Parts: sequence; C-alpha cells; structure tokens
Amino acid sequence: MADEVFEVLPLGIDPQSKSITSTSSSKDLQTELAALNTLHRSLLSLETSLQIPPPPVPVNPKRSANISKLRDSGNDAYRKSKYGEAVKFYNLGLQMALTRPLWEPQQLVREEVSALFANRAQAHMSMQNWPEGAVDAEASVEAKRTGNAKAWWRRGKCLVEMGRLEEAREWVSRGLEMEGDEAELAALLKEINAKLGKETA
Amino acid sequence: MEWFDIDWKGLALPFAYIFVLGGMLYTFSTIYRKRKASQSANLAPWFPPHLQKNIYSSLLEINAADNHDKKTRVPASVVRTALLRRAVEDIGRIIQVRSAKQALNTLLQRGSVGDDLMQRFSRAEKEMEEELRDVVMEANALAPGWGQAIFQSANEIAANTHLRARIDDIQAQAATEKEWWEKRRQCISKEFMKELDEEEELSKAGSVRVGSDDEGVLVDSTSPATSPGGSKKRVKK
Repeated sequence: MADEVFEVLPLGIDPQSKSITSTSSSKDLQTELAALNTLHRSLLSLETSLQIPPPPVPVNPKRSANISKLRDSGNDAYRKSKYGEAVKFYNLGLQMALTRPLWEPQQLVREEVSALFANRAQAHMSMQNWPEGAVDAEASVEAKRTGNAKAWWRRGKCLVEMGRLEEAREWVSRGLEMEGDEAELAALLKEINAKLGKETA
Repeated sequence: MEWFDIDWKGLALPFAYIFVLGGMLYTFSTIYRKRKASQSANLAPWFPPHLQKNIYSSLLEINAADNHDKKTRVPASVVRTALLRRAVEDIGRIIQVRSAKQALNTLLQRGSVGDDLMQRFSRAEKEMEEELRDVVMEANALAPGWGQAIFQSANEIAANTHLRARIDDIQAQAATEKEWWEKRRQCISKEFMKELDEEEELSKAGSVRVGSDDEGVLVDSTSPATSPGGSKKRVKK
C-alpha cells in the first residue's frame, strides 16, 4: 500500500521572508500556502528550542491574566453605567482571546470568548443597540452552547425588542432545549407567546 | 464398424451449437470479470488529493534536489510547519472517516448502498492509518518526541480554526443587521409619527366635538339651576 506517489507542486521560497510561494494559479493551493506562511510566522515567535508547538495543556498564564483583567475593567465600567467604555474593554479582551495561538486549547478560548461576548451583548443592550446585542449573544452561544442561559436570553430579548417575535420564539425554544428549564428563559418565552397572541388576535 | 456408422455430418449442427454457446459464455465471463476488476481499480478515491501532504513532500523534494544553494533551501522551521498543516488536514479527514463509518454500515445493512462504496471507504480508512503512522514518524524525525504531541496540537488547531470561522461568520452579520434595524427603526418612527399626527387630527376633531359637548354639558350643568325643571323641582319641594 506504500505508494509514495505525490504530485510535485511548483513551489519556491522567498529568500528574504522565507515564505513559500507558488507560480500555480490554483486557488486552493494559494490559500493553503497563505495559511502555511501565517502559521510559520506564529511558530517562529515561540521560545521553545525547536519551534514546535508545545502540547496544549500547560497554557501560558500571561494572556489569560490579561484577558480576565480586561473583562473586569469592562465590568467595572458597566457598573458605573459607562457602557461605551465597557464595550471598548470587552473589544480588547475579545481581540486578545481570539488571537490566542491556534494550538492552545480551544476549550479555554470558548470559555473566555463566550463570557466576553455575553457581557458585550449586555452593554449593547443597555445602550439599546439591539442588533449588536443580538449578534454578540449569538456569538456567545456559538462558543458555549450549554450553561450559557444568559446569552440565550439576551439574544431572545434583543429579537423581541426589534419586533422579530417569530424568530425570538424559535430561538428561545431552542435555548430551553439546551438549557433545561431555565426560569428566565421560560418567562421570556411566555412573554413572546403573549405578544404573538396579541398580534394575531 | 460401428464407429464409421455415426453420422458425423448430422451431428455437426449440435456440436457447433455447443461450441458457440460455450464460447459465448467464456467470452462473456472474461469480459465481465475484466470490467469488474478495472472498475474496482479505478474506484474514485474517498478524499480529494491531499494538498498539504503534496506541499510537504514537494518542500522535501526541493531540499533534496539542491542541497548546496543556501538561498533556495527551505528552512527546517517551514518544513515543520508544513508537517503540522498536514496533520491538521488529517484530523479533519479522521473526523470524516469516523462519522461516515457508522452511517455507512447501517446503509450497507439495509442494502441502500453498493459494495463499491464500501470498498472505497475501507480503502480510505486504510490509507488514513498509513498516513497517521507516516506523520508521526516524520514528526519524530524532525524533532525528537514530537510524534507524541503533533496530533494534539493539530487537533486544537483544527478546532480553533473552526471556532474562529464560525464566530467571524456571526460577527460579519452585525453590519447588515444594524443597517436593517436602522431602516426598520426609521420606518417605525415614521409610522409612529404618522399615528401621532393622525391621533392629533383625531383629537382635534374630537376636541371640537368634546368642546361642543362641553358646552352642552356646560349648558346642561348650568341649566338645572336656571332651568324650569329645577325650578319645578323646587316648586314641588
């Protein structure tokens, strides 16, 4: 079965930047090479001797500390009703969490990102920016599906505020399926159903 | 002699018949078998060509071809990165194989899919096993002990890439959602203003009527005092 047949690709290397280039016009190849070169650059920044990614488990604690600091600053600003400032802090935190090296555990990224998105959604909602709130809450749910009732509720609420009741009902019902019987979600669903009933009546 | 009594000429027809029949069966079976064999040899591969593997191999080939020219030599770090990319692609393929296996087995039991699909699948499975072993060996050759960790790293890279793509997709909606909401809000506020205007008009019209009613009421309320009814009452009292 050991067929060592492979297609030799027209590859070359840029002597300065050490990035791999190709004369081929294949789109797949070009995107793959772009991915390869970015990964290469991020691997070069590693301090390990051979520049191979370390096993995922012991994580560099620096970034985690920075992210939680930014989240706390955001929360403080939110408590002082400085919502715009809070959004800025959450933005920075998200940027930091999403640029975490790819080989670090995704579970960690999910936790951090879901919390930050949920908080940013809340800040947007306090400023009555319903569409941003809805999108952020959805992103939060995408990162963490269960144990994230707040984010489910927030998107539902935003949809209600924008008058998209059918969508809200579907979303909240799905949230109830995932979260079990969350009192707040159930209450929101009741509210939506009441509104829908009024509309059709 | 009896031997010569057999009517060979008369038997020629049945013999020819048997000969032709046998010949036809033979040619049919050989052609059929040949076709079947070539079909299974030409079965489409389960996966598309392994681009990352090709890149990795091509890079090694470049180094093997011109060892002396330092400028065009591919640095070891790039080779390692290419191997890591290859491992990431393998993770995706493993997931595909695993998720397809269950479904395929059920379908095969029900007779919903043909044998050749199963053949293609088992070939892909075997190839994947080979591929994994190959990657681990290459990794150990590039950096001692890396074979243990390369697939862990590749797994996280694959999952992280997927997660970020999903989040980017969702966040990309923000702009259109916002635009929609702006339009919608303008619509709503316009309607609201219209309603307000209408209400105002209504209330104007109403107030006129109310005013006249008020007057009437006023008249009424003042009238009892001066009306003959009141005086009558008083008279009655």
